[in-house]
Amino acid sequence: MLARPTRAALVALASLGVGLVPATALANPPDTYGFGSRETAMGNAASADTRGFAANYYNPANLARSRGLEISVGYFRADHTLEMNGRDNGVDPVKGINGGVVVPGKLFGIPFAFGLGVHLPDDRISRVRALRQEQPRWELYDNRNQRLFLAANLAIEPFPWLQLGGGLSFMSSTRGKLDISGAANVLRPDDSQLRHEVDADLTAIRYPQAGVRVALSERIALAAVYRGEFQLGLDLSAHLSGDISGLTTALYELETHSVNNFLPQQAVFGGSWLLTRDVRASFDATWMNWAAYVPPVAQLDVVLDIPPPAGGWPATISPPQTPAPTRIVPLRMHDRIIPHLGAEWRVLDARKLQGFLRGGYEYSKTPIDPQTGLTNYVDRDRHTFSLGIGLTARALARELPGSLSLDLHAALSELVSATTSKASAADFVGDYTARGHIVNLGAMLTVAFDGWGTPQEEP
Amino acid sequence: MRAVGGTKGRAVRTGVAIALASALSLASARAEASPEDLFGYGARTSAMGATGTAFAGGYESAWHNPALASDVRVAKLTLGYTGGLLRLAARGEGLPGRTSSQAVTGTTIGAEIPLPLGGIFAHRLGIALAFYEPTDVVVRGRVLYPEKTQFPMLDNRAQSVTIRAGIGADLGYGIRVGAGFAALAEIVGTVVAATDATGRVGTRVEDQLVATYAPTLGVSYDLPLKGPELWRVGVTYRDSLAARFSVIIDGTKLSSLQIPLFNISGLAQYDPAQVAVEVARKEQLSVLAAQVVYKQWSRFNGVLEPTVVCTEGGAGACGLIPPKIDWKDTLVVRLGADQGFRIARGAVLHARAGGFFETTPLPSELAGSEAYSQGAKGVVAVPTRYFDSDRLALTAGTGLTLTKPLPPIDLDLFAQYHILLPRTVTSVDPSGGVLSQGESSGHIAVFGMTAGITF
Repeated sequence: MLARPTRAALVALASLGVGLVPATALANPPDTYGFGSRETAMGNAASADTRGFAANYYNPANLARSRGLEISVGYFRADHTLEMNGRDNGVDPVKGINGGVVVPGKLFGIPFAFGLGVHLPDDRISRVRALRQEQPRWELYDNRNQRLFLAANLAIEPFPWLQLGGGLSFMSSTRGKLDISGAANVLRPDDSQLRHEVDADLTAIRYPQAGVRVALSERIALAAVYRGEFQLGLDLSAHLSGDISGLTTALYELETHSVNNFLPQQAVFGGSWLLTRDVRASFDATWMNWAAYVPPVAQLDVVLDIPPPAGGWPATISPPQTPAPTRIVPLRMHDRIIPHLGAEWRVLDARKLQGFLRGGYEYSKTPIDPQTGLTNYVDRDRHTFSLGIGLTARALARELPGSLSLDLHAALSELVSATTSKASAADFVGDYTARGHIVNLGAMLTVAFDGWGTPQEEP
Repeated sequence: MRAVGGTKGRAVRTGVAIALASALSLASARAEASPEDLFGYGARTSAMGATGTAFAGGYESAWHNPALASDVRVAKLTLGYTGGLLRLAARGEGLPGRTSSQAVTGTTIGAEIPLPLGGIFAHRLGIALAFYEPTDVVVRGRVLYPEKTQFPMLDNRAQSVTIRAGIGADLGYGIRVGAGFAALAEIVGTVVAATDATGRVGTRVEDQLVATYAPTLGVSYDLPLKGPELWRVGVTYRDSLAARFSVIIDGTKLSSLQIPLFNISGLAQYDPAQVAVEVARKEQLSVLAAQVVYKQWSRFNGVLEPTVVCTEGGAGACGLIPPKIDWKDTLVVRLGADQGFRIARGAVLHARAGGFFETTPLPSELAGSEAYSQGAKGVVAVPTRYFDSDRLALTAGTGLTLTKPLPPIDLDLFAQYHILLPRTVTSVDPSGGVLSQGESSGHIAVFGMTAGITF
């Protein structure tokens, strides 16, 4: 039997337990920063209005509006200046490539399209970050948007006034076990004789999205979209065993289950109205089911056994102490309806070139209960104002029988200043005032092989 | 001191959960190689001995040769299902006999997209996208103690997601070139536990899933020979695809105890760099192909890494060192054939067959491993029980291609039967003493079907 308790591993791992909650909730980066410069500039009021690759997020039904191959690629960067008591909290920027493809055609005579959309962050595909529950963090911005978004959809247009679409987005959960065994030397760590074994699976999580778009007239369209909830589970077991400097043995066995990522289900109702030949207005109302939020609290079952050595512990060694237990405080959240408003004005309409000015607004009331107790999940109501321009050039060359579009956006989110007052004067963190803003800049380049670029002329 | 459940151990358990989340989420990114490297990719070419470097078309070209994506003329979406069973055995003293009978199932998604450029670029460019997702897992990660009987080249290799894309261009004069990539993920992270000024133990866990890519380059040339048949040579280079997982657990600031840094690391995924060369003879309804692949396994460093990060020199400078294995470069020889029969207007039925032979990269004599023995109160030699064999595969399949006036649909089926040729693998200690000896053998059955629709 080679396995014997490993005190080093035990202490290092076991001591992690004080005051922790597992990873923060995750969501789609497009929920916060938009997906595509045109739509972001229009306040993400896009469920009835979008087309092209962005439809993979806003409304998959709209993929069927494309009449030729469309390829889009772009980049955005959102910088956070989020502060507490006047001190910046150093929330990382969210930045990366947005892109996608729409492949339309006809299936048994019915317009049909297949689409892929992706947000690929610069630095990572995803990040798990776990902090103590009392440590203040911007719950909705600190880590939740540091991840990939990948969606695949199909859409059909059975009638010229009706588009239907749906598809899947992809994530994964983890299950597995870790084993560390051997001998740990706590007097001379380099003499430790340890090995590890890992056996784990990344299991597939697929969550649906579906949408419908109805053109009521040549000028008005309505849309409804549903995005499914997903929970990323973390099922782990561990076995740590070994010999401690020849003094004693230690055994640690653990099994845990937790939901460490959660995205609430969402429903969107939106509309688009062509006010004049050159001006379009759109709105969306997004319901987010935050009340169903599953707090990232682990269900645990553990066995810990470290007998003292014969004659007691040497004076130079402090026996491992079990850290004080932590009471996990649930995070309570509320459903929210987020309004989005957008407008687009075609300011240039030449034979080969069109130009657009865009603007938008959205208001997101924080779903998180006031943090008057032990926890400090910081959030504030958010107002977002956005602007953008677009240029679409047609028939640039025989080699490009379609259009080339460049869209730029800038969005400023203001998180309203508010003070959190703690119920206890002896609170470890104390009262604080939190506020901030987010600056989101980006650009998209789209090649469309059907020459589209006149959305104002369509419902 | 003993705590079972209850509040006393809750903090400990939560902390360990976090540490393990970190250490295990890394492993979740792992798999030991791609299923396409084992079985090929696509129902048509998988029935033809996994050939295709000189003739594969559509979405299959993302794996076989992205240059051939230049032949894509219409958009097409393909969905499919693949299933398989691995029955691997290691027989000998102290060995378990059959070690694996796991079923492998997964979904194939392929897309092919012509780029409708005009002018001199008209009908010259195409894109191929190839995905495969195992039904139950995205990837399976196992880094086991070396004394456990295992087939490291086979056990988990079919349990990994495939993401490949390629673009091809027809340059004229019978020359096509293409480029693409394969994507996977690796995990890096840290777990730092420390005691703060108030005496509380706090932890910071940060794991990141980071994308890793491997380029694929391809070229094909239509030989200027006269006759009804087309002779084409295809060459594809696929760079190595390696994805490590690496999480460092740091408890050195917990107390005055000298706790080593833990390096929970390993190689999650490895496809060796490889070059495939193929000659194909194509006629209107038939294809014959012969292929040779060279795989550079000699650059494979194995899946295990040391657990302790040493004060000087980092991981591997002290403590137990994983066994060093002298992996060998391998060769694969593949043959494939396809014959079509017009059975009706707009309907062609295909019969396909093929086979391949792949040598094993695992040497027949392996160095033993080291482990701490509590009984001996010291480090002892343990066997390295890795097994693998040369593999002979026989393949067959059929397909139905419908065109106007029928609906534009393709249906393809394939089956493969792999035989692991019996082979003795011996593990020895530094003095040459035999630690373990056994014979590896087994077989693998794979089947699949795809349906593609043009739109």
